[in-house]
Amino acid sequence: MTAIDTAREALSQALAPERILSDPLELSLYARDASMFEGGCTLVALPLSTAEVAACLRIARDHQMFVVPRGSGTGLAGAAVPFGDTLVVATTKMNQVLEIRTEDRLAWVQPGVINLDLVDELRPLGFTFAPDPSSQQVCSVGGNVGTNAGGPHCLAYGVTSSHILAVEIALPDGAIEVFGSEGPEWPGYDMRGLVVGSEGTLGIVTRICVRLVPLATAVRTMLLDFTTVEDCAATVSAIIAAGVIPAALEMMDQLVTGAIENYVHAGYPTDAAAVLLVEVDGLTESVEAQATAVASAAHANDVRNVRVAETEVERELLWRGRKSAFGATAQIAPDYHLHDCVVPRTKLATVLTDVYEIVRRNDLKVLNVFHAGDGNLHPLLVFDRREPGALDRVLQASEEIVRLCVQAGGALSGEHGIGLEKRDFMPLVFNDTDLGAQACLRDAFDPGGRMNPQKVLPSSARCGDHIALRGNDAASNDLPEGTWI
Amino acid sequence: MDLIHPPSKGDVVEVLRSASADAQRVLIVGGRQHMDKGNPSEIDAELWTTQLDALVSYEPAEMVAVVEAGMRFADLDRILSAGDQEWPADAPGDATVGGIIAAAVTSPRRLRVGALRDTVLEVELVTGDGRLIRGGAKVVKNVTGYDLPRFVAGSLGTLGAVVQVALKVRPRPKSRRTLIWRTDDAIELGLRLLEKVPSPTSVLATSTSVEVRLEGWPDAVAAQTRAAADVSRDLGTTDEGAFPSRAPWLASPIVAEVSAAPSRLQAVLAAHAGSNWGALVGVGIAWIGLDSEEALARLRDEVAVDAIAPVVKGPGGLGASPPAPTVHRRLKAAFDPAGVLAPGRFWGEEA
Repeated sequence: MTAIDTAREALSQALAPERILSDPLELSLYARDASMFEGGCTLVALPLSTAEVAACLRIARDHQMFVVPRGSGTGLAGAAVPFGDTLVVATTKMNQVLEIRTEDRLAWVQPGVINLDLVDELRPLGFTFAPDPSSQQVCSVGGNVGTNAGGPHCLAYGVTSSHILAVEIALPDGAIEVFGSEGPEWPGYDMRGLVVGSEGTLGIVTRICVRLVPLATAVRTMLLDFTTVEDCAATVSAIIAAGVIPAALEMMDQLVTGAIENYVHAGYPTDAAAVLLVEVDGLTESVEAQATAVASAAHANDVRNVRVAETEVERELLWRGRKSAFGATAQIAPDYHLHDCVVPRTKLATVLTDVYEIVRRNDLKVLNVFHAGDGNLHPLLVFDRREPGALDRVLQASEEIVRLCVQAGGALSGEHGIGLEKRDFMPLVFNDTDLGAQACLRDAFDPGGRMNPQKVLPSSARCGDHIALRGNDAASNDLPEGTWI
Repeated sequence: MDLIHPPSKGDVVEVLRSASADAQRVLIVGGRQHMDKGNPSEIDAELWTTQLDALVSYEPAEMVAVVEAGMRFADLDRILSAGDQEWPADAPGDATVGGIIAAAVTSPRRLRVGALRDTVLEVELVTGDGRLIRGGAKVVKNVTGYDLPRFVAGSLGTLGAVVQVALKVRPRPKSRRTLIWRTDDAIELGLRLLEKVPSPTSVLATSTSVEVRLEGWPDAVAAQTRAAADVSRDLGTTDEGAFPSRAPWLASPIVAEVSAAPSRLQAVLAAHAGSNWGALVGVGIAWIGLDSEEALARLRDEVAVDAIAPVVKGPGGLGASPPAPTVHRRLKAAFDPAGVLAPGRFWGEEA
């Protein structure tokens, strides 16, 4: 019996044989996420409870296997892609909303609960869970915690970390801890804050206490269209400078609106160089005032049309367009590579100009559809990977875009995470000492280096020699030979 | 005791490097406004951050201000007001930005402005052993690496000296108003107001009153006022002055801050009917004025586990606590390997 066989046997006993996958075809389904990377794993476990997750981690430890946690697999940075002798622990079957307490404005959920299912369950109660990534129909709350997910409405409501009160986590040795509290503060360091956005490298979140936000009384959605990208970008800054923080402020350029119109007929003007989808919410009176301020900021920057959604149907259609953008790209090319850099929003116009130039130089096409209010760019490079050299050109342009954003004073990722995709770019924004401190944070949770190795931190990042936290069995951070991109 | 007043980040690095080498125990001090938070700590030196008070950059259209951590809150507020913006800490003017972050101060407007830790975008920290490290970024949204800024917020100077931060700031409200009711049943009235008044900035119940803070566009504030009047007409209104208009609990010798799920707070407050207190309805934070350390000990017995009672004023600190989880101890060891930063001040630590 091999070590894998004994691990499978132990897992089958701890969980149930039908919830341990080892058939090559089944395993292949867990070799990828929504990024361009492809790996492979030896076993997949589908636990139902906290205790089963803890058992998975103990068995993995006893059999020297690495562990990669996985939610719905919609991550775009490769954080859920496994390599080598790895146990993938997928929390998709832990999909119960355990408790909703509107009087405390909180809910406890299992990590596999789908974001939109939770939102739908909360709506009749007058509340919502604010993070709304574009994948919210399929992504899980556990995955949202893993990536500190964003979404259009995070401009006004904040990213996932602002909406997580507490997490129950199974640590790599199988110990269970609760970090955070049902109250707004807690004893000790903010280990909750470290777990949120840690991309499955610190443990596996088994229960989540989310903060509920009251639904806004009124909402207004506007579509502003411009004849130049520069005017559109300048309007973004002008709106913020006017003291208005819209609930959402999304920018789309002409290639995107054209693709969307062919696909869902959202009513976007296809002859505009760029459009802004702006949503303001709050009290009826404040919505009125914000909408007026938005319109005057736009007029000061030569907006061509200001269209206000008159009905709920029209509003939903405008949003369906935005949320279908990535699907719509398939008309242009079969593959895409989506970026997620952040730049200071006053530099949007110049950075976009440079992005277009980089793309032109590399003989590619780019669609820009992004959270402009946050300065969170999403250049979407579309290509056909069957075309010789296309992938190389995409990777070349990607690196140039990353360097451009960093030079503009930005960050590598606003909401998708670092994963594998941006791991080796980390030294562009952090020095060795900074990365060493990050390695210390990681080692405090996972001294054995068993959780989702190779992700987030480059192999050079080591906690200082003076701090002996890392065990002798630490994982090598190098990617195995033959990793597919 | 030594008083060290470094003029630059590099000097902070040198000070802490040698403190760690010499086992010299150090308390990081900003504006001395939150010294009672945490347990008493025996130290050999105070490291004052107040010479590190430069404005690094501020661009209103970015809603981001980068400042050195020793800057006083009043100075920052003056700078931001020129851009018609604010950093909503609502701390004393003499408090330093670094001290406010290290103490994770809760604003009385927390219902609307959120947790202070959510406004800290980037930190530069000198660790106990003198490493200058940076985490986060100077942009409003960022998931590049582990969340060092949130980790440092609330750590009471036990992980390092915060020397520079990037803060997410917000527009100053276009108009503001405080509605005030006198009542003996403030929590009950506060809950009704929370339900009926759309988007209040704060609903503060106290031992004798309810104060509702409204901020925003003038027409919206007028509409909120009408909604509040529908709940209870017996109100006073002021558009001037600070919020809250009164904080009687601060007159007590000891003030404890309690955090719990909002509905749980009611039972705690009912047991302190005779005290002066203030509670943020819908948030789960209460400040309770206490006469004696015995009263503080009784409060600690009442609020266990997920509700903490750090003292914000007076003796008592955090009090005894359960041992910190292993991860917590490892984190402390990684950032302060020689254990020189305020030994025993924080939760779960032996003095």
